Order: sequence, then C-alpha cells, then structure tokens
Amino acid sequence: MGPLAPNELISENTNFLLAFFIGIAFGFVLESSGFSSSRKLAGIFYGYDTVVLKVFFTGAITCMLGLLFMGLFGWVDLDLIYVNPTYLTSAIVGGIVMGAGFIMGGFCPGTSFCGAAIGKIDAMVFVGGLFLGIYGFAFTYGWWEKLYMARYLGEPKISTTLGLSDGLFGLILILVALAMFGVAEWAEKKFPREAY
Amino acid sequence: MKPLRLLGLFIIPMGLIIAAVPQNKTNPYKLTADELLNEVNTRNQYVTADVVADMIVKKDPTLRLIDVRSQDEFEKFSLPGAINIPVTDLLSAEYAGILNQDVKMNVLYSNGTLAANEAWMVTRQLGFTNNYVLEGGLNYWFDAILNPQKPASTSPDEEYAKYDFRKSAGQALGGGGMAVQAASDQTATSAKPAVKPVAKKKKASGGC
Repeated sequence: MGPLAPNELISENTNFLLAFFIGIAFGFVLESSGFSSSRKLAGIFYGYDTVVLKVFFTGAITCMLGLLFMGLFGWVDLDLIYVNPTYLTSAIVGGIVMGAGFIMGGFCPGTSFCGAAIGKIDAMVFVGGLFLGIYGFAFTYGWWEKLYMARYLGEPKISTTLGLSDGLFGLILILVALAMFGVAEWAEKKFPREAY
Repeated sequence: MKPLRLLGLFIIPMGLIIAAVPQNKTNPYKLTADELLNEVNTRNQYVTADVVADMIVKKDPTLRLIDVRSQDEFEKFSLPGAINIPVTDLLSAEYAGILNQDVKMNVLYSNGTLAANEAWMVTRQLGFTNNYVLEGGLNYWFDAILNPQKPASTSPDEEYAKYDFRKSAGQALGGGGMAVQAASDQTATSAKPAVKPVAKKKKASGGC
C-alpha cells in the first residue's frame, strides 16, 4: 500500500496534482478561519489570540495519529515516508530568523499567500520580502554553506532518541499539546484585546 | 461543551490506543509480483561458472558459495568453501544473517538451477540483495570447468582463451584436464579471458 508515490501506485505527476488540490483546500481553510489577518499570527506572541498555535498543533497531532494508525493497519510503510534530514545548527538559526520574521511581519509563508490572494497589501509586501530572502540566500549560499550544513544528525526521531515506542511518544505529545492549548486559552483571557 | 474538552475526549483515547498496541513490525512484501517477474526476465541473478571459478581460484573474499541441496548431497560433493543451506531450511533464523547482508556476494547453486532459483526468489521476495545463482548449476560446472572440451581448431582465439582458463581453473579445483597439458603451450600467449565484474543491484529507493 502507501505511501502512494514512492510505491509507484500513482505517478509523480498525479502526486503533484493531488498536492495542488490539497494546497487549494489548505489555503481555503486558512482564509476562512481568518488567518489572512496579520494580527492573528502576531497574536500568539502577545497571547491575545492563539488560534494559529491551536490549529497547527491540532493538525500535527491529527496527522501523527493518522500515520501511526495507518502504519499499524499496514496501509502505509512508515519507513518510506520522507523525513527532512536534521541539520541542528541551521534548524536553530533558521527557527530564530523565522520566528523573528513571523512576529515582525505578522505572517507565515502560508498565510501571507492567503492574505495576498485576497488583496492585502501588507501580505504582498511580505511575499516580496520572502522572495528577496530566498534569492538573497541562494546567491550568497557560499557564505552560509558551512553554517547551513553544520551538525548533521541524519533523520532522527525523538521517540527513538528517547528510547520510547512511537505510540507512547505520540500519547505524550498529545497530552503536552492539550496542556499547551489549556495554557493558550488561559493566556487569551489574561491578555485580551478589544478589537483587532 | 468547550472545543478543547471535545478534542481531548476524542484524541486522548486514540493516543492511549496507539500507545498500548505493539508496533506493526510485519514485513510487507518488498517486491510486487510484477517487479519479481521483471527481475526473473532480465536474468540478472545469474553468475556464470567462469566468473565463479575465477573468484574461487583467486580466493576472492567477497564470494560466498551456498549449496542449497540437501545435506547428503552436500557431503558427497560441494564446491570449495561452500556452505550448506538446504532450500527447506532457507527461512530458519540462523541463516538470516548470511542471506540478508550487503558485504558478500552469495552465489546459490544446486544440481541444475531450479532449486537455486527457488531459493533466490524467496530471498528476493524478502527484499534481500547480493544473492545470485550459479548459471547452469553444478551440471554445467562439471561440463565446463572440470571437463572442458577443447574447441574446434577453427574456433576464434576467445574460445581458446576461455578453454585455457577453464582447464587451468579445473585443475586448480580438482577436476580432470591433466591429459591436455601439452596443448596449453601452444596458446600460452593467449589473453586471459576478461572476467566481467558482477554489477551490484541497486537498493530499492524510497522517499521523496
């Protein structure tokens, strides 16, 4: 069975077509949930609106549960799932740069395209900055290469590093996520904003 | 009910289930029937007797000969350095490390090629690589290596070179061929047959 593309059940082109439709659905849901407003994303950092955190983390644990169950049923060979290789230094540096960008710009790459699609000028400026960053990085790659490639860890899983089974780690992550949602809702009450 | 509670009510039991069940370690078939048929048709699993004889004579450490016949037959005759894994015991756990590895080149042989091919197909279906089949089996080995026939006088040089190689290999491996000692002087300058290196099969690639 799955994954569909590596097992050649569907062609690479069909894979892209599916990704296209999933991407449209993703954008539609983002926009209809109000993610195209830059205040939504900035809200996490100030605590008045944590919807983005809740939505993306719910998405992550739902996906994790789905994959674990599908692996259990033999529908998906989890060994064939592509995992981004970990370069620790660039993950940390990139995380800081991205986080700073999110809070300053009020968008993440996905929501900026949503905002641009409905004609928000700040989102369009953000998209412009995004491309500037991409091209800037690409053309000066030689300067960063050492940093970019530093501390390569392969494709580690937290569960194997901690010596837990995937399922047990999944349960822990779910509990952590729910606790985090609780804290987030508390923060929303603590730092309310009238209108944004 | 608050959405957070609702989410928790649904997702925590799911998490408990997935944490409690053992991980699915069953090995799905590594090759589909189509892929296996394709491999059988390309005949990539075969290694010729000449290549194997050359590797034995040179004591190539990467070669591992595996006799898939019964133990009786193995004790009566086997190729030098061969180990015995009867087809019936192929899946026993003690042989898994021998058949599933990527260091040595396992060459399976039987009297013909049938039993060796059976064993090869099973290992291939399990996703193992580096297992090959001796082309022609022991029957051809006797004819070609241990009792090589002198080619006709009109044969091209390559035939003679092959014959010389087989004759000397056959002698080294304890076959006949002493009677034709004199003939080897005539063609002593013939080039040694080039032994084709066996292409290692690529590992099935996955991922993105």
